Amino acid sequence: MIAGDRVRVETFVRVPLADAFEVFTLEIDQWWRRGPAYRVGGKRPGTLHLESRLGGRIFEEYDEGRLHEIGTITIWDPPAHFAFTWRGINFAPTEVTTVEVWFAASGEGTRVTLEHRGFAALPDGHPARHGKPVDAFVRDMGMWWGGLLTSLRERSEDR
Amino acid sequence: MDLRTRAGLSTVDATLGALADPTRRGVVDLLRKRPRRAGEIAEHLGLTRPAMSRHLRVLRTSGLIEPASDDADARAKIYRLRPEPFGELRSWLEDVERFWTLELGAFKAHAERTRKK
Repeated sequence: MIAGDRVRVETFVRVPLADAFEVFTLEIDQWWRRGPAYRVGGKRPGTLHLESRLGGRIFEEYDEGRLHEIGTITIWDPPAHFAFTWRGINFAPTEVTTVEVWFAASGEGTRVTLEHRGFAALPDGHPARHGKPVDAFVRDMGMWWGGLLTSLRERSEDR
Repeated sequence: MDLRTRAGLSTVDATLGALADPTRRGVVDLLRKRPRRAGEIAEHLGLTRPAMSRHLRVLRTSGLIEPASDDADARAKIYRLRPEPFGELRSWLEDVERFWTLELGAFKAHAERTRKK
């Protein structure tokens, strides 16, 4: 689902909640896809590491100890919830986005929801925010974008 | 990890940056309905001429709006919305969505192979 400046994706896994959280975080290197589109190392894929604590780093290690730091953990609430900052390999230093992941027991397994957002986020103190907290600002932007993109899509489909 | 595929984050940034200002979002909202003259936009939004020019300049520089001539009055300049930047933003977000859908698919496959109840 795309809403404004955020993207939300969900999946259901047939494993218990604690296992789902553990696999997602501790075994990230085992399931994260390999190849140049997904790993910095490209042909010689690096190893993904996630330091499982608040402030811990998520990074890829490739070519004898070279590192690409993807981001750091900003929320750590196992086994229900965690979040980390996300910087792509070619993002400018100010281009930081957030990935947040929730785990909820559901029926015979666990529902996992992932949200990547903050593409519209501005640096602290930017006048455009009008003193609003980040969340309210991004939420407003998101609603506004949602409406705008829908109407533009409808308009382009009419053509 | 490269999510800057089709549109490039810098283009998307310019779009989002221009629209971070509520007055400029107001201008875009007005132009969604139909193209308008600068004076008409200023009146709707209660803006002074210099403030109006400044906002229109930012929107033009970032490619969100473009000037055109008014069919009814060839001497008058009107502004209209350019859909391209919005399309680029949309396709970039679609790339991000596809990226995470595939990653979660890989996660599910691995978790169910190794930990299934």
